[in-house]
Amino acid sequence: MMKFSTRIVFALALFILPTSATAQEREMVLPVPQSAYSQAVKVKGGTLVFLSGVGPVNEKGELQAPGDYRGQVRATWENMRRIMAKAGGSLDDIVTMTVYTTERRWGEIFTDMRKDVFQTGYPSSAFMEARKLKTPGAMIEIQAIAVLKD
Amino acid sequence: MGESMKIRKLLLALLILVFARVGLAQELKKEFIEPQAQDARSTAVKVKGGTMLFLAGHTASQPRPDADLGNFEAQFKATFDKIGVTLAKAGGGFDDIVSMGVFLTDLRYIPQFTKLAKEIFKKGFPAITYVEVSHLARPQSLMEIQPIAVLP
Repeated sequence: MMKFSTRIVFALALFILPTSATAQEREMVLPVPQSAYSQAVKVKGGTLVFLSGVGPVNEKGELQAPGDYRGQVRATWENMRRIMAKAGGSLDDIVTMTVYTTERRWGEIFTDMRKDVFQTGYPSSAFMEARKLKTPGAMIEIQAIAVLKD
Repeated sequence: MGESMKIRKLLLALLILVFARVGLAQELKKEFIEPQAQDARSTAVKVKGGTMLFLAGHTASQPRPDADLGNFEAQFKATFDKIGVTLAKAGGGFDDIVSMGVFLTDLRYIPQFTKLAKEIFKKGFPAITYVEVSHLARPQSLMEIQPIAVLP
């Protein structure tokens, strides 16, 4: 009798404990590898991180790589990496981004460089031309949302 | 007798665990990463739990047509009045906003925007992205704001 009740308790424990650690499920829907994005990213669970627009500036807010699009893109990803680390995650936790660039024709350079940024799947993305960005001389700014694994 | 007490204690512990889990799932945890009070924004906002609210781009329009006067402050107030109405309808308020896309026809309005935004956010500043655009949907519009909120 005692053993039976103990079994019930353990069965209950087995049922409750695994679900108490909320696992994150993630699925990249219709990935477009040649442009390094996915048409959608499906996520369940996790902690959200909303990033402000990130641009090619140093800690003092000074513009990096003036006039050099590739240099500015690299500086922007470096900043994103730093912010994601501070939030307790990495660039691979980004699920979606809006990319603002001051010249639409730089799109291919951007997507080509993005291929090396993500290791575990591409986020969804929108790319558009903005007339101006917050930092004078900035050619790129990225607004992203990430979901961290718990 | 001793064994049944043990089992009861175990069951009680499990029950507490279940309720703790329910409690945790409902609790909203919010962390402002690198808040910059002078710019009324945070580098990022980290959120666990809560209910997400994705708002459309809001502009100064009806029911405040008087706000379309090329006056930035009036448009700001009319725009945030509308955002406030949307948030209230969903059961939230300004302090639930975690992120905003701010689309301006002239980025020189940013200092004015910052000054006015400081009066709106009392518990912490959202993540903000400023973008200058050539046109918004209505010719008189100086700004369009697209917020994301997380309600408790």
